[in-house]
Amino acid sequence: MTKNSLAIIGDSRLARELLDAAREKEMDVTRLSEPSAVAPTTSLVIDTVAGHENIKRVVLQKLDAALPVSAVILSSCLSASTTRLASWANKPERIVGFATFYPLKDRKIVEVTSGMRTADTALHAAELFFKSLDKETVRVTDGAGLTFPRILSMIINEAARSLEEGVAKADEIDVAMRLGVNYPQGPLRWGDQIGLDEVLAVLEGLQTETGDDRYRPAPLLRKLVAAGFLGEASGKGFHSYQEGQVKA
Amino acid sequence: MNRLEKIGVLGAGTMGAGIAQVAAQAGFDTLLYDIKQEFIDTGLGRISSFLRGSRERGKISADEEKEILGRLQSTTELEPYKGSTLIIEAAPEKIELKQNLFKQLDSICGPETLLATNTSSFSVTAIAAGAAHPERILGLHFFNPPPLMALVEVIQGDRTSNETIEKVTALMRDMGKTPARAKDTPGFIVNRVARPFYEALRILGDGNASVESVDRIMRQAGNFRMGPFELMDLIGNDINFAATESLYRSFFEDARFRPSPIQQRMVMGGNLGRKTGRGFYVYDKK
Repeated sequence: MTKNSLAIIGDSRLARELLDAAREKEMDVTRLSEPSAVAPTTSLVIDTVAGHENIKRVVLQKLDAALPVSAVILSSCLSASTTRLASWANKPERIVGFATFYPLKDRKIVEVTSGMRTADTALHAAELFFKSLDKETVRVTDGAGLTFPRILSMIINEAARSLEEGVAKADEIDVAMRLGVNYPQGPLRWGDQIGLDEVLAVLEGLQTETGDDRYRPAPLLRKLVAAGFLGEASGKGFHSYQEGQVKA
Repeated sequence: MNRLEKIGVLGAGTMGAGIAQVAAQAGFDTLLYDIKQEFIDTGLGRISSFLRGSRERGKISADEEKEILGRLQSTTELEPYKGSTLIIEAAPEKIELKQNLFKQLDSICGPETLLATNTSSFSVTAIAAGAAHPERILGLHFFNPPPLMALVEVIQGDRTSNETIEKVTALMRDMGKTPARAKDTPGFIVNRVARPFYEALRILGDGNASVESVDRIMRQAGNFRMGPFELMDLIGNDINFAATESLYRSFFEDARFRPSPIQQRMVMGGNLGRKTGRGFYVYDKK
């Protein structure tokens, strides 16, 4: 029998956090930037790549080609429905969607979903994986960004619009949302923590899947991502960061 | 603890009485107005019972309680507001009523008296239209209940002077509040940026997740204190729907603010939430 092993694909902070969490549970786990380098003994792959369709499609096609038939792919469905992600693979039955945001340590539960062609056994494997990391799972219906990333990305988008329209300064928007409606973090600060590229991926995914203008991203958000100002991890996003400190 | 500035509050309802309490607690001589003595008595009664509760829980002493109440005066006339530092209008949300009050204050108070409107649904610029000194008129959006909610949105209308904003921002800090300055735009900061929380209605309508799942996910994945459906039931679906609809109209039907047919049906069916015993959840009426 082949040894059960786990591979995590991606370079994001979420990918690194998942690696540490899996190692802590003494799983046989590796993290890879290049999906085609995945070992043929791998039984479960966590694909954390959240980006544009062109990137995501290549990642899934490479994984699908490199993996044994029995392996399950748990893929981040922030930017597209799981049915759509699975449509790029020869074996759509093995593709399960999940949606969450960094940092995982703040999430008691993680959302998982099946695409139209996902096998129940694949969904169970995904649920078992999160359970082994002490995370509960909730099953929801397939769609880009599922529930929490979808709602939070839209809140961050509206905060970004308010900022670029000059309604208020970033600090004042954040303090208003923390104190006015008890949000656990100000939305701009929160977006910087998650990574603005991930927030943009959710909004673009929703806009593509639904065709609804409701989800169109704020031009400021697009510009920050284009400039490489992705938030905390790159030292600048809506706020500026030095050694983890928020600069006004 | 006593301060020199004199604060006026117009309207002794929940918001007005709460704001007057905040001012008096912070050491300001405070004058509370309403059109009828019975409205004032109700408002002062609310303040007294709040302070009694604070004393009983050991948060303030009996002397402090007496001092706070001693700083609160009331009137059914506008003339005594002459010489006030800041007057905060918290009258019912009717624009003519608010404009009329500001017109009367224009003739009573010198231009050094600053005038604020506590509104969540009107433009400050619109309320100041026709006033003799629009540069001294601003918006102050307190949150309910004012004695417990730290935030105040300080709203600059198109003709509000920077000096007015700076002075009132400092006064709000003196009142123990955390001010957030914003331009006079629909929903200001909080009511606008909080709107997408109700994307939950769309998720429900599309059949993507149940009421219970969405609430649980937002609490346990998002760390929000309440889920969106629990919150709508608490606020009242009528109030929440009206706020969304008002913002939708203010932004000329921008898709981002489109209200939900599900919530409209709940309003039409009288399923308003906790206050009617039924909303997204069913509540035991006790």
